[in-house]
Amino acid sequence: MSHPATVTRVAIAGEFSIFTAAAVRDQLLAALGGAAEVEVDLAQVTELDSAGVQLMLAAKREAAAQDKVLRFTAHSAAVLDTLELCDLSAHCGGPAATGAADTAGATP
Amino acid sequence: MTASETQSTRPAAGAAARAAAEPCQYLTFLLGQEMFAIGILSIREIIEYGYLTEVPMTPPFIRGVINLRGAVVPVVDLAVRFGRSAQKNTKRTCIVIVEVEAAQCGQEMGIVVDAVSEVLEIPGSDIEPPPEFGTRIRSDFIKGMGKIGGRFVVLLDVDRVLLVDEVAVLANLGGADCASA
Amino acid sequence: MNLDDALHTFIVEARDLLEEMEDALLRIEQAPDADTINAIFRAAHTIKGSAGLFGLDHVVAFTHVAESVLDLVRSDKLPITAELVATFLGVCDHLGVLVDHVAAGTAPDDATHRASDELVNKLRGHLGEPLPAKPATAAAVQPALSAATSGGVETDHWHLSLRFGAAVLRNGMDPLAFLRYLTTFGRIERIVTLADAVPRLSELDAEACYLGFEVGYHTDVDKATIEGAFEFVRDDAHISILPPHSKIAAYQRLIEDLPHEELPLGEILVRCGSLTKSELAAALSHQSAPGESPIRPIGEILVERKAVRPQVVEAALDKQKQVKEHKRTESGLIRVNAEKLDEHINLIGELIIASASARLVAQRVGMPALLEAAARLSRLVEEVRDSALTLRMVQIGATFNRFQRVVRDVSAALGKDIRLEISGAETDLDKTVVEKIGDPLTHLVRNSMDHGIESAEIRLACGKPAHGTVRLNAYHDSGSIVIEVADDGGGLCRERILKKAIERGLIKAGQQISDQEIHELVFEPGFSTVEQVSDLSGRGVGMDVVKRNITALRGTVEIDSVEGVGTTMRIRLPLTLAIIDGFLVAVNAATFVVPLDMVVECMELSAQETEAAHGRDHLNLRGEVLPFIRLQQLFDIPEVPDVIDPEADGAFADDNTQSRYESSSAILTAEGAAALARDPELAFLLQPVKRENIVVVQYSGRRAGLVVDSLMGEFQTVIRPLGVVFNGLDGISGFTILGNGNVALILDVPGLVRRVAGREGRRTAKATAYALTE
Repeated sequence: MSHPATVTRVAIAGEFSIFTAAAVRDQLLAALGGAAEVEVDLAQVTELDSAGVQLMLAAKREAAAQDKVLRFTAHSAAVLDTLELCDLSAHCGGPAATGAADTAGATP
Repeated sequence: MTASETQSTRPAAGAAARAAAEPCQYLTFLLGQEMFAIGILSIREIIEYGYLTEVPMTPPFIRGVINLRGAVVPVVDLAVRFGRSAQKNTKRTCIVIVEVEAAQCGQEMGIVVDAVSEVLEIPGSDIEPPPEFGTRIRSDFIKGMGKIGGRFVVLLDVDRVLLVDEVAVLANLGGADCASA
Repeated sequence: MNLDDALHTFIVEARDLLEEMEDALLRIEQAPDADTINAIFRAAHTIKGSAGLFGLDHVVAFTHVAESVLDLVRSDKLPITAELVATFLGVCDHLGVLVDHVAAGTAPDDATHRASDELVNKLRGHLGEPLPAKPATAAAVQPALSAATSGGVETDHWHLSLRFGAAVLRNGMDPLAFLRYLTTFGRIERIVTLADAVPRLSELDAEACYLGFEVGYHTDVDKATIEGAFEFVRDDAHISILPPHSKIAAYQRLIEDLPHEELPLGEILVRCGSLTKSELAAALSHQSAPGESPIRPIGEILVERKAVRPQVVEAALDKQKQVKEHKRTESGLIRVNAEKLDEHINLIGELIIASASARLVAQRVGMPALLEAAARLSRLVEEVRDSALTLRMVQIGATFNRFQRVVRDVSAALGKDIRLEISGAETDLDKTVVEKIGDPLTHLVRNSMDHGIESAEIRLACGKPAHGTVRLNAYHDSGSIVIEVADDGGGLCRERILKKAIERGLIKAGQQISDQEIHELVFEPGFSTVEQVSDLSGRGVGMDVVKRNITALRGTVEIDSVEGVGTTMRIRLPLTLAIIDGFLVAVNAATFVVPLDMVVECMELSAQETEAAHGRDHLNLRGEVLPFIRLQQLFDIPEVPDVIDPEADGAFADDNTQSRYESSSAILTAEGAAALARDPELAFLLQPVKRENIVVVQYSGRRAGLVVDSLMGEFQTVIRPLGVVFNGLDGISGFTILGNGNVALILDVPGLVRRVAGREGRRTAKATAYALTE
């Protein structure tokens, strides 16, 4: 996947939870401020909790409000598991939306 | 909304006029030197001859229109309608506003008279049928001949004199022609 | 509101909905999209619901079958075919008949029942079910509903409604952990995450919890165990647990308990599979929300009175509610009685006249403060007038759209492939005009389809596409609305019209007539050139009626036709029938109003120009020929107004009587000028030299000049109709009352031109004929 230079990539690694939420929030806000398109790489996320989920939802909402694009990509197994539990895969770009080859087989 | 009020009372008034045709009050007035009378039930009011707007391209007996409290009312010159020449207006010239029957509802119309005389009660016994000739006006315009002080006065049938079908511009092609000539 | 009123509302709304449904059906063939399908579904759905409200079981049963088919369409299980659309147009018509019966208070007759059965059979064909199987389904609605209200809901899973407090996360608990825990002793069937409370990122408190869930949960454990799962969060969250087959009432409470949420909770419950749609209907109907649709109280009243069965009311309420909401978001319109609106406009007319006379009095008094107040008043009155008039304006689109159906049906009947193109649908015009234009338009459209557009073979032979096109177009043009009905058919055949006209004795053989005149012949009573009388038109009645109807609206109709290419019928109508902006002009002492939007410019007619134009009634306007009309001559306006003759009654002189002046020499007599000076209304005549002015008017692309004495400026003109006596007077379109109380005539410019042109035409024709015989 190649993207034009205007795309800002942000990678979240490790725990994406109540403990890191505030930091991730600032990180995503900054990224959104500087680019028309933001890609959030979730490949290294080891844990996703409610705080993370609602942060993802809020980020989507913020991007929409700014008329920008925000994409979650390369969902790790932990992310997928949580999103599926909440039935939010479609909303937060589950495997179907990203088409990430490595995770496509993980969920039917 | 005086206009609508009078309109709603009109059919009843018309019917009453016919029912009470026998012992009835009449307004007498002058056209030139000649006296005529109209049953007062069809009369709405009498107004001074004031500003009148002429309407071009209409038959000569239509003098024009006036503003009667916001309603535009056509005014007919009775003398011309009877085939006589129009009289000059004087200080005594009046417009008598009458109501005649039109298509569905009544229609207010003004008639120009040279002077209004008085309101008289003429008992049915003093009303003779119209003569076949001799009045110099169309016999169907005459409702009867009223005896007033030993003289006979023509009692007009306003509904006939001002019959909308006859007075209306469209029914008077001659009128349109003569105006445009 | 009593039951009659409610029923009346139902009838009116049902008819509106059927119209919408028809519209959508006609649209969907060309462009099938979800919105359109939903519109159709919604219409059927709402009618069914409302009909139920009034116990109109036959309407409910019939519509239900239609709705089932529509449901399949909506879920992409049934494709939209021409046949299906045709069936539904039939359904639409049939519903119209049923509603008509309701309106008339009559029971449907046998024929209607037969039509009903036939349509139901067709619909069942679409449902792909054996015919006798379906009545059971139709009948099953009621039991399902009653079961829903009396007993428990159908589903066999638990329903959990979870709202987590903001502090949950900070207190070290993760809502998702509770869900995970639940999966250890049961199965989450469906879950809906309520994310509506989540703000945008910039406003997000990353450590506050915003989430809620609605969960359909399958488990064998008891309620206490489930409750136990939420033990630690009990104080910080709102947890509701409904066991399988809970009573509807429990769901109602659930909905009512969360009134602050602007969530379509009911729908979410359905999505969770916890409630079926009809159960939701039942639940919602008990929910009392202030400021809700006005139908609700009726429903309650009806139930109280035991007028109708509660189940039916409940089902209806849901549907009403959906539609109300839809309407609210879509338009925010209110329905106003047209009579009230007319009364309002009439009053504004009175207000304009009153304000004009107030202004006149102010001018007479000459007190600055009063003048200012009067000016402000008349400005406001003008604004009020404009806004009031727009209230009566409606877009012509709705009228045009009705023709989709006409074209469809008529082209089917004629066996021609004809398409309708619509443009200018957003053009506004007065409601009164819209109402009266329907019939003439229908006639013109049918006429175009029947006589205008040729058969496919002929069209192909002429190198045209096989399908014909009828175009409806509308636009505004100098104070008028123009409506065009155009076809790409064969055009009017000059020879055939001529032959027919000679046969009828309308014209003489060998007479020279222009194309325009030939086209005019089509509007003669009883004129039809079609050899074969068809079902639709061609009986020779109509075109004259069309013309008469349009003339009655102060409009005109003209034809543009090119043989072999097509015909365009152009209807020109005044935008409004009540109040216009006028331009006051005076000729001698007579005052006239010219509709302002027809006035292009005004200029002085100099003596030289009059001289140059001598004997001819046209002049050179910047290189163009401008024919003009001398109003004074045409109307034979006396130089002295008809007033009381002072000679006849002694030395009596009235203020406004002495306006004698000699127009030929254009000089006022001394006493006349003195009299005029006293009368502000006539003071304009005091110009040292009597000048003539020319008002250049324009309509349907033609220009003409009106020669008048003076220009008196703009005037808000309240139109008083000509009335029975003056109706049909060519050249005058109405009366108006001036500020001083006098009546002025409103000029009908096209009529005037027609009158003058007609007369000149006759005169030259006579002269030519004379010359020939000589």
